[in-house]
Amino acid sequence: MMRTIEVLIVIIIITGAFIAASFFAVLPWPRQVSPMNLRRLSFTTLQMLDSNYDLSIAAFEVDNDTVWGQLQVALSASLPPNVLFNLTVYEVGSGTQQLYDMKASISNAESLGAMSDASSYLTASSNVTFNTVPEKIGEQTGGGTLYILNCSDANGWWITGYTAQSLAQDLYKLLSPYFVDTVMVQNTAQLATILGGNDLQGETHQNAVVINTFGEAVPIPSAYCQSPYSDGGYARYSYFLGQKVREFNWTWCSIVGYPFYYVSNTAAFPTQQNDWGIYGMRQTGGVGSIAFFRGLDNQAYGTSGSAVTDSGDRPNVVLSQDAIEACNYYGIYPSIYQTSTRALADSIRGTYHLSVGMHIFNPVGGYNPGTIYNHVSAGTSTITGSLMALGLTRTPDIRLTGVGLLSYYHPRLYRSEYTAYGTSRLVVLQLGLVGGA
Amino acid sequence: MVSSTIDHMVAVTVFLAATMLFIGLFNQTIQTAVIYQRHRATATKASDLLDNMLLSPGIPWDWGKSDVVPTGFGLQDPEFTQYKVSPFSLMRLNSEAGDPVYYYKTGKSYSNITVGDKNFLLVSNTSVLEYSSALQLLGINNTYGFQLTMTPIVTVEITQEQAASPLRFSLDVQGTGFPLANAEITYCLITVSLGGGSPSFNSNYGTAYTDAEGSATLVFNGVTNPNLSYALVAYAHLGGLVGVGYTERVSSGKQYVIPFVDDFSEGRILIAHSYDIQYYEDQHPAEIKYNASFLFLAEDFTLREMPLENSAGHVNYGDGSPYEVVNIPTDNPGILVITYKKSANQGGVVMMPWGISSLAFPIVFGGDPSKQEWVATDMRQVTVGGIAYRAQLSLWSLEGYQVIG
Repeated sequence: MMRTIEVLIVIIIITGAFIAASFFAVLPWPRQVSPMNLRRLSFTTLQMLDSNYDLSIAAFEVDNDTVWGQLQVALSASLPPNVLFNLTVYEVGSGTQQLYDMKASISNAESLGAMSDASSYLTASSNVTFNTVPEKIGEQTGGGTLYILNCSDANGWWITGYTAQSLAQDLYKLLSPYFVDTVMVQNTAQLATILGGNDLQGETHQNAVVINTFGEAVPIPSAYCQSPYSDGGYARYSYFLGQKVREFNWTWCSIVGYPFYYVSNTAAFPTQQNDWGIYGMRQTGGVGSIAFFRGLDNQAYGTSGSAVTDSGDRPNVVLSQDAIEACNYYGIYPSIYQTSTRALADSIRGTYHLSVGMHIFNPVGGYNPGTIYNHVSAGTSTITGSLMALGLTRTPDIRLTGVGLLSYYHPRLYRSEYTAYGTSRLVVLQLGLVGGA
Repeated sequence: MVSSTIDHMVAVTVFLAATMLFIGLFNQTIQTAVIYQRHRATATKASDLLDNMLLSPGIPWDWGKSDVVPTGFGLQDPEFTQYKVSPFSLMRLNSEAGDPVYYYKTGKSYSNITVGDKNFLLVSNTSVLEYSSALQLLGINNTYGFQLTMTPIVTVEITQEQAASPLRFSLDVQGTGFPLANAEITYCLITVSLGGGSPSFNSNYGTAYTDAEGSATLVFNGVTNPNLSYALVAYAHLGGLVGVGYTERVSSGKQYVIPFVDDFSEGRILIAHSYDIQYYEDQHPAEIKYNASFLFLAEDFTLREMPLENSAGHVNYGDGSPYEVVNIPTDNPGILVITYKKSANQGGVVMMPWGISSLAFPIVFGGDPSKQEWVATDMRQVTVGGIAYRAQLSLWSLEGYQVIG
């Protein structure tokens, strides 16, 4: 009998242990196993309500009953029916003031229950403007003129899907804030004027940047559509351009494909085409770039020599680190991967006394997919003319031209900062579930 | 001696029985705790996975606008930050909502999201991303299953109340928890003209406001023909919430055109005769003339027309009649509106969203959660092409655990 009593005592002890263990090992409520992530729901709701800046407007118009009525309706409509909310707007103070000063609050329940969560969202006043003032290229050093070829009497090639005029307008919007003067060269007659050493509207002619928006074609003024400029399929005109770039210390920008491969003038070549069916254009071929470099290097005119441009496919050429940094600095984001099919050989640098001003794309196998070349005559250190050659395949992305020029000249950006009191308000959205605990 | 033996036997028996009972009781408590931990881990995984999907554009970042097979899964709109989802990446998800459609002239099946009677989104199976691929890209193959649903937060229900003289609609605008009171509605009534060779359409724009119950009435006095084919698209917006509703009326309900998305990168849309897909047994098909236009949603919630090349043509049923092709020349979301004409008094209009947001199509992608032992869910509020959506992820474990004993 004694043993039985002992066993009963053991059972009582174990039962006590079980009850004690069960008491302390309290399992959570089923809803706590997989709770609705109220914090994330709250944050994404605030973001959604501010997607068109309606939340920001409401945060700064706390006395506007109409706006707040709309906000309350939108909030009620966007949240699930079993979710309670309390939205509060705080003024963000500064200095010795109270950091957060409550301005307004709306809610759809007296209490959010025992379990709730919240997110905060900082809104900016619509009266605040974040301004950026760029430094002007050439402002300190002389020059600072950007010529954009926008000739109405020329056709482009390898700018498929665009017109030179649309590219010119985009380039104007992109780059004009960074130059002292930006001049749209509206026709080939105006191009002849600047090639003649004259300005168009009082701009500084020397040290200018000239962007050819016509792709592989170069506009040619009618006065040059004859001998001797027509020699070599108008390679002599390219030679002449090289001389002018040297004389005026211009930076000539070729935005896509082969540089100087065609010349175009719709009035002078109305019945002639570029061998691909585009009228108003003549094909110069690969000798165009040879002639240009000879002119740039002040050599005698000629087109002999091996081609300076390769037609090999180089997919996935990559922006150089300097260019990527410029993308971040100026907020221009073309794809860092591009395809190059018209890269210039690096070996030409010795032949024509060129130094690398900047690699826009990393060199690949002895070829430069995108580079700014500076001409520096032997025995000197002075730059006398530059060429930016983006040997990419069509269709051009003019943002690459912009990034290339900006990373080369690197004008500084002066950003205005607004930290004045009253420009920011904190919106806190607290959510709870019906049934609370 | 005998009583002592009996005492021992009773004690041992009772002791063993009690021990077994308590082992069972403790075991059940431990099992429950383990299950809780596993469920909790699944819930945490669901939350993380949903954020991974919505806050990454995937690799490559523009996979939604091309036909490449992504090497990383993500749905964020690459042109934005935060919870803004690409309307094109969602188009490339193989929909679980509708049965696939087979089109014998291309030999392909098409993922099917068709809302209503004449609003199609049929995407080639060679272009869509399969659920199995998404599992592998997310690194949860054989460990978890999921279903992602994207549902518009604001619904705009349109009911035709009077057919003509005047044409009158009632609109009911509701959020998930509350009617959208005093919301501005921007609408576009597209009326089909069947005169001339090819069909054409006229657009009638306007604005209205909902009342306190989220209702509004639209009246078109100029519509006097009760058989006039039309489509009505209405955008309701209030305080950052934007929703879309649409309806059509056609006078040729069986013979119409069906658009198929054939190539994303080129925006190539095939236009087929409906008898090639449905009503195959009908012996009296007729040629259908069509005219395609693209409308995109501007920032002020009005629709702007963009001309298409080769927008007009005709299609017929059968082997000798090939499908036609139009190309959408833009990466911006919009609506492909195709007016069609069977005869001088029979025709209609079909619509296809280019980017799911322009017609607020819902998306269901993934496996079936209904037969799973336990499913964790989580949700986010997102915008897709400016339209408010709720993204909900259901996640379940495939490791097969359950309570024992």
